[in-house]
Amino acid sequence: MMWLPHDPVLSAALACATLPFLSMAVILIFTRPYQRLSCAISVGAITVCLGCALYLLITLRHAPAPVEYQWAWIVSSDMVIPFGFLLDRLSLLMLTIVAVISFLVQVYSIGYMHGDPGFSRYYAFQSLFAWAMMTMVIAPGMLQLYIFWELVGLASYLLIGYYYEKWSASQAGKKAFVMTRLGDIGFFLGIITVLLGFGDLGILHMNHAAQAGDIHPAVVTLGAILIFCGVVGKSAQFPLLTWLPDAMEGPTPVSALLHSATMVAAGVYLMSRIFPFFAASPDAMAVALIIGTITMLLASTMAFVTYDIKQVWAYSTVSQLGFMVMSLAAGGYFAGVFHLTTHAGFKALLFLCSGIFIHEYHTNDMREIGRGGGRKLTIPMICMTVGALALAGIFPFSGFFSKEAILGVLAEHPNKLFLGAGLLGAAMTAYYSFRLIFFILFPRSTAEEASHHEEAHGHGDDHGGGHHGHVFWAMAWPVMILATVTLVLGFFQNELQSYLLALEPASHGHEAVEHGGHGVGHYLLLVTAVCLAVGGVFFAYLEFGWKKATQEGFLRKFPAVETLFANRWYMDHFYRKALDLLVYCGFTNVFTRNDRRVIDGGIDGICRFTVGGGRAVSFLQSGMLQYNLVLMVAAVGVLVLVFAL
Amino acid sequence: MNSLSVYLTVAAVLFSLGLFGVLMRRNLIGMLISIELMLNGANLNFMAFNRFLAPEPAVGQIMALFIMGIAAAEAAIGLSIILALFRRLRSINVERAQRLRG
Repeated sequence: MMWLPHDPVLSAALACATLPFLSMAVILIFTRPYQRLSCAISVGAITVCLGCALYLLITLRHAPAPVEYQWAWIVSSDMVIPFGFLLDRLSLLMLTIVAVISFLVQVYSIGYMHGDPGFSRYYAFQSLFAWAMMTMVIAPGMLQLYIFWELVGLASYLLIGYYYEKWSASQAGKKAFVMTRLGDIGFFLGIITVLLGFGDLGILHMNHAAQAGDIHPAVVTLGAILIFCGVVGKSAQFPLLTWLPDAMEGPTPVSALLHSATMVAAGVYLMSRIFPFFAASPDAMAVALIIGTITMLLASTMAFVTYDIKQVWAYSTVSQLGFMVMSLAAGGYFAGVFHLTTHAGFKALLFLCSGIFIHEYHTNDMREIGRGGGRKLTIPMICMTVGALALAGIFPFSGFFSKEAILGVLAEHPNKLFLGAGLLGAAMTAYYSFRLIFFILFPRSTAEEASHHEEAHGHGDDHGGGHHGHVFWAMAWPVMILATVTLVLGFFQNELQSYLLALEPASHGHEAVEHGGHGVGHYLLLVTAVCLAVGGVFFAYLEFGWKKATQEGFLRKFPAVETLFANRWYMDHFYRKALDLLVYCGFTNVFTRNDRRVIDGGIDGICRFTVGGGRAVSFLQSGMLQYNLVLMVAAVGVLVLVFAL
Repeated sequence: MNSLSVYLTVAAVLFSLGLFGVLMRRNLIGMLISIELMLNGANLNFMAFNRFLAPEPAVGQIMALFIMGIAAAEAAIGLSIILALFRRLRSINVERAQRLRG
């Protein structure tokens, strides 16, 4: 193959940025009717990508400087917008995360989506997502990042609305698309601000210039806050967080891949991508910190009351994303990225486990899964418990390490309120995740219901593996791999830290203080956090697990609060009202009137003028030949007079 | 008054009579005859200029012969149109042929 570049690194990056796209095109154009072939193409493409990503990570592990390949894409006077790849430690880490989770989810989907009529379409969209996400991750400039950011949003829309014949699914897709777009407007304005104020959209240039103070501080603050709007939309932060729970209408593997592990983390990734740029503006950091805190607490409260198993994980995703934003905004670059990494692992694990339950029992309700005998599916039950332990931040699971790192960063922050919020959030997380686990593990049901369910499901569950064959195992293997990752990832904290920070002198100071300061305060914090998490789990056990537990939750005693939480703090109602008031009564009215009066009226007017004018002029045409002749003679006479005299 | 201006005056009178006829007659045959008059007026002009002013006497005569030929052809076409119109309208009065009125 002569046309391939001889540089293996570039070839690998190119493969990541093109193969999934090709696979999508091939599936959509040629192989749609052949489900197995489509699936093989897509999984094959992602496998190659995974290989390339791992290869890149290993070869460039010790690279002293970021490897950048760019080609000029738009050139306008002195402004050059490049298109290409930026391979530094952060993007390689994220690329690997995306490739690994995409690969596992696509393998899992072979089982989960088995027999679905839209199987080929599903894999085409999965490829689209993988392509957009990977190209976004290695983008060297903000504009390329933005373009693929939007493509990721498109893939999300298509996959949420995958069951498009279901009304709620198509509505949820629309909602997700519109709400994230709202944030993206801010993002785009931010890019324009940077372009006008600085003139270069290269990520490395922006970071260096912002650190060196070459950009006007007002531009940095405005740009950072506007770009943060994009983060708010994509990562479902406070004002725009309600799209994510609704996005659970999509197939469960999609929720695992897009709406927890990778796509929604894109916002946090963006923030860490231009972290030095953010760090140069204390105001933007303060805004982000407050938004992150509010999000984290709000989403946790919502998770207290829902019975939908996927919704609980969705709220916890929102809340963990809030955690990451808090950490980044408090200056903890490594802690944020580390939590992003571990969260991608354990949240994908949780969703994929839930997917197995949902596939098995055809319901999202955790009480019914429990009554149906959910705990008899041993592998997913154990794996889900592992995931929940990691989510709750209990030693020795990966979530424990990253959450500790974040709390350590928050402890450094002068305002202790944020540390308190973080600790409270950690306790709440433990409570709601184990509320779910105990619901499935210790089901309560009336006697007749129990016997009924035993009859219906009992025999099928005991020999789950053998009975389900490859369908079950295609789902079980990725889950087990992820559970292993969740178990061991935490112990690589130091390796990851030295890997990531070698190139980040900007945040190095912070981290060094945090890392070096393993004093009494740190251990105290560690013990407090673990105690709170265990306390949360224990409290959940008292209410939902224990034999005499009522399984009602303490919130039942405060009906008003419970209603508030269950209605998502009335945020959806607020949006609905705002939409009705502002859009349907405001804009739409004006536009309708504009359409009827101005546009329709204008065209009608032109028609009327033409017809009327024709009619008026037609009186000149008497039909008498000789009148025309008279006119002709007169005209010739006038011409003669004009030219002769 | 020299002899050229006499010819020119006669030709102008002939032309004007023809024009008047075309504009005033309602009978299509009459209009056709008037057009012939106008053509002859122009013809007379050619011959007069040829006789008194032109260095090469043949040119004007050729022109006059051409015009006669054209007049003959025009009469043939005009008469056939009039015939067609008569078949349709049962009349050769132009006032009856007012289909083009707006």
